[in-house]
Amino acid sequence: MAILETLRLNRSTHSVIRSFRIHTIRFKKLLENANILLDLFADGNEKLQGEYILDRHYVVSLIDRVIERLGMIVYDAAVLSQDAGADLYRQYDQQKIAAECFISGEKIGGGEDLSSGDDASSPPAMDPEYRLLSQAISWFHGKGDETVSQLMKKAMINGMHGIEKIKELKNDLVVDEIWLKKSESRIFLIDLWRDESSPKREKQSIEAFGSLPLTLILKEALNDMPSIRPHMEMKGEWIIVAGDNEITLLSVNPNFNLRLDATASGYEASDYIFVSIDGRLEPAKILPQGFHMEKNGSGYFCWKIDASFDAIKEDLISIGSTLFG
Amino acid sequence: MEEKKLKIMIIDDEHIVGKRLKSALESSGEQVETFEDGEKALERFNESPFDVVVTDIRMEKIDGIEILEKVQARAPKTKVIIITGYATVEVAREALSKGAFDFIAKPFKPGDLREIIQRASNELKF
Repeated sequence: MAILETLRLNRSTHSVIRSFRIHTIRFKKLLENANILLDLFADGNEKLQGEYILDRHYVVSLIDRVIERLGMIVYDAAVLSQDAGADLYRQYDQQKIAAECFISGEKIGGGEDLSSGDDASSPPAMDPEYRLLSQAISWFHGKGDETVSQLMKKAMINGMHGIEKIKELKNDLVVDEIWLKKSESRIFLIDLWRDESSPKREKQSIEAFGSLPLTLILKEALNDMPSIRPHMEMKGEWIIVAGDNEITLLSVNPNFNLRLDATASGYEASDYIFVSIDGRLEPAKILPQGFHMEKNGSGYFCWKIDASFDAIKEDLISIGSTLFG
Repeated sequence: MEEKKLKIMIIDDEHIVGKRLKSALESSGEQVETFEDGEKALERFNESPFDVVVTDIRMEKIDGIEILEKVQARAPKTKVIIITGYATVEVAREALSKGAFDFIAKPFKPGDLREIIQRASNELKF
């Protein structure tokens, strides 16, 4: 059962919290695996420049590691969005076959088709090992729709859809509403520590809400002293799902799509921020420096991972200031 | 008086390694011979020892550890440098404990190996 289905069917506070945390952990794992995959691409690119002494074993090992990591990403995405699991695994199987073709020496296209040279003065690209590496790099993240990179992005999009369904389910979850005067933003807040059986609450400060990333992202907006009121009519611009140390922010706006996931705990090994925006927005106008950026079919994936708590804290304040300050 | 060249033997059953290293080291003025077959390399070494032997650790007929032991038995002053793959660093550490001068993991830049050879050369008082 997909995580959001579980969220809908099991409304007890503990199961909601547990399900959301599973989502957060799994999505973070997906990003970590995507980062490692991109590092492998970069390593292959660096070695292709010709300065390195390498052998066939390196190329085969690189292909093996890429396939292994891609499998982890597909698994992460399938956990997050089980509807997409079968299709992702089918495509993953195709990539495994492609890898076997590379390793067995069966040509499957991509890379420069150069004849082998045995002269020590010949450029490295003429060596079979470099030629194989060149073809592998093209398969990893060259042009075309059947690259490893394309499947990675597809897995990320599907992984995101899992939590995007929260828009459909928001009426089933406990929602508070925050009105931010300065930015004229309306935020529908899903509190992971409360459910329908929890006592109704009147006005409460954001700080008392107890979510560190929520406090950080609304730091500038808090200058307006927003009031939290019981849930009213759903016509907001943003949904925020907040726990103690995690936050998911979703735009509900016909003019643009933005989604942010972040953890800010200070005690986790690595907090992170992930932002997905559509092509109508420019990442540079929303995000501080230092984010990894990947273009996808409809916009950008941007993320920062393995950053210090202080860096994540500053970035959340900066993003919040841009959006709501 | 002509400057004495460092005699370097390279043993790796991957053709590309010997080919690229020979080219890179000869351009630095060293005297280099390459072998893809460890047994033939040892025959050649027994005829005439080399100052430095650079050998891959994992080869089909004879592995780098055996080469290290036979080279040390024939010419104890020869410096043996082990080339390792991604997953063989532990074995390389074993080689160090058996008297290898140093090890380098593939993929590497020729300049990285040159630095190790330079240290070996200094110890040999070239």
